[in-house]
Amino acid sequence: MSAPWVELDPTLVVVAAGTTAVGTVSGALGCFAYLRRQGLVGDVVSHSALLGVVGAFVLAHALTGSASRSLAVLVPGALIAGTASLALARSVSNRTRLNDDASLGVMLSIFFGGGLFLLRWVQRQSPPIPGHTGLEDYIFGMAAAMTRADLWMVFSLGGGALLLLLLLWKELKVFTFDPDFSRSLGLPSYRLDLLMMALLVAGVVIGIQTVGVILMIALLVTPAAAARQWTSRLSTMVLLAASFGAAAGAGGALLSASEAGLPTGPVVVLLATAIFALSLLLAPRRGLIARARARRTLGSTPPPAAGGAA
Amino acid sequence: MIQRRSREGSTEPLALEVEGLTVTYGKEPALWNADVRLGRGSLAAVVGPNGAGKSTLLKAALGVVPRVSGRVRVLGEDPARRRRLVAYVPQRTSVDWDFPTTVLDVVMMGTYGRLGWFRRPGREERAMALGALEQMELADLADRQISELSGGQQQRVFLARALVQDAEVYFMDEPFAGVDAVTEQSVASLMGHLAQRGKTILSVHHDLATVPRYFEHAVLLNRVVQAVGTVKEVFHRGNLDRLYGGRVPADVPELAST
Ligand SMILES: Nc1ncnc2c1ncn2[C@@H]1O[C@H](COP(=O)(O)OP(=O)(O)O)[C@@H](O)[C@H]1O
Ligand SMILES: [Mg+2]
Repeated sequence: MSAPWVELDPTLVVVAAGTTAVGTVSGALGCFAYLRRQGLVGDVVSHSALLGVVGAFVLAHALTGSASRSLAVLVPGALIAGTASLALARSVSNRTRLNDDASLGVMLSIFFGGGLFLLRWVQRQSPPIPGHTGLEDYIFGMAAAMTRADLWMVFSLGGGALLLLLLLWKELKVFTFDPDFSRSLGLPSYRLDLLMMALLVAGVVIGIQTVGVILMIALLVTPAAAARQWTSRLSTMVLLAASFGAAAGAGGALLSASEAGLPTGPVVVLLATAIFALSLLLAPRRGLIARARARRTLGSTPPPAAGGAA
Repeated sequence: MIQRRSREGSTEPLALEVEGLTVTYGKEPALWNADVRLGRGSLAAVVGPNGAGKSTLLKAALGVVPRVSGRVRVLGEDPARRRRLVAYVPQRTSVDWDFPTTVLDVVMMGTYGRLGWFRRPGREERAMALGALEQMELADLADRQISELSGGQQQRVFLARALVQDAEVYFMDEPFAGVDAVTEQSVASLMGHLAQRGKTILSVHHDLATVPRYFEHAVLLNRVVQAVGTVKEVFHRGNLDRLYGGRVPADVPELAST
């Protein structure tokens, strides 16, 4: 064991490892959500997860008598609620005249509202359910509450998701870029679509303890959007987004530990946003500064629009 | 496999056989009771107004849209069993050309069917993709980001990807749409070469004036198939008036008279 680690607060090590892992996984998975324009889907999943988290807590209390806030209990709840809200949104848009976005919005309101309602109910119980304080942290996140067991959950779920991404890389790539063509190759588009949803849900649920259900979408989409500015290769984009997410996660944990009262989740998201803003400004070719320069050197000729006819 | 079959029996399987095909997305059928038969080596255009079900016919032939009724055979088999012998050029505007990838990468997607699950493209696939790019006169753009291509270059990238599929039957959706004159020539000559080598081409075509120049056969489609045959037989003013409800542009040249 090396010297500096001995001096580090072991809680901080767990928290920093957790936020870094969460940032890495959501950065990588977020790229596909970003490219498939499924940001709203991710947002619905994470808001809906609140109902799942509180519901799982209540259910665990009712069944075992001792309520637990460990991720091992809450993650399945979040998974179920997130998946259920997506499935319901899909069936609503299939069966009614509501379009996809409207149906997603409806489910977000129902599940998030339901989550808040159930949370308030739990908090009003008397005698109070032991362990219920801290449930409200899922709204804005509470990275400091992360235990070793939680860390293990984040590593295994996140690692599994990344492994699937790696194994099915070429299939997911062609399906994302050109779904019609990938169907013509015989790839099962329905199942790939479900798999992408599942990966997104996994990315969301492991992150909500750290950044909370409201800000989670930012941690998924912002590193991807930042990475997109720097590269035009999918593999580089995913690696960069994962690194940006990791940097924001680690930085957030360390900053909030050094300055009392700084909430980890919002700091993580602010750091990710800062990386995005810098990328938007500074990136070569796509960055605002580079484009302004290109426009000036071209004089009055406008830059060639992507996808324009020859 | 196909050769053997044709030696055994006198009936060589048709490249495409569509019988009584009906496809619906919602309530209205996009295709109604369609019959199309194409022999091998056909060079055929699908012609019809917007929303006529032209793309749907191609997708049904590829086996990627669920059919309500009817039968589709490609080289005598269900499309799902002929994927390796079929190439597809989707409508150019159906994808996001701002996707982060390079020209060579897109063309290599043509090898994914042969590679199967999990295997990554290697040196051989790369060489095949480069060869196809050479053929479409895009070799110097191999490492170019696809968002920097002109419409004509995008179309040639899609055609190069189809070439890499090294298929017997090619389904193309509007390969001439929005391309420059140079690309139009290279698309036309590519089609001609493929047909000469016995490949079958079914291509959605929007420009009536050039149908007789580029194609030998035509499928006139407006939800129902109005006519299938050689361009000489079916591509005449009477049929086209019926197809477009009398709104055929008057300046269509080279039309055989009724
Ligand atoms: N994925 C889809 N979902 C719902 N309707 C569709 C879909 N694809 C096509 N359609 C409808 O089916 C009809 C035929 O479409 P299409 O085959 O694309 O026509 P074309 O290629 O001849 O313009 C149109 O009315 C179109 O709106
Ligand atoms: Mg079409």
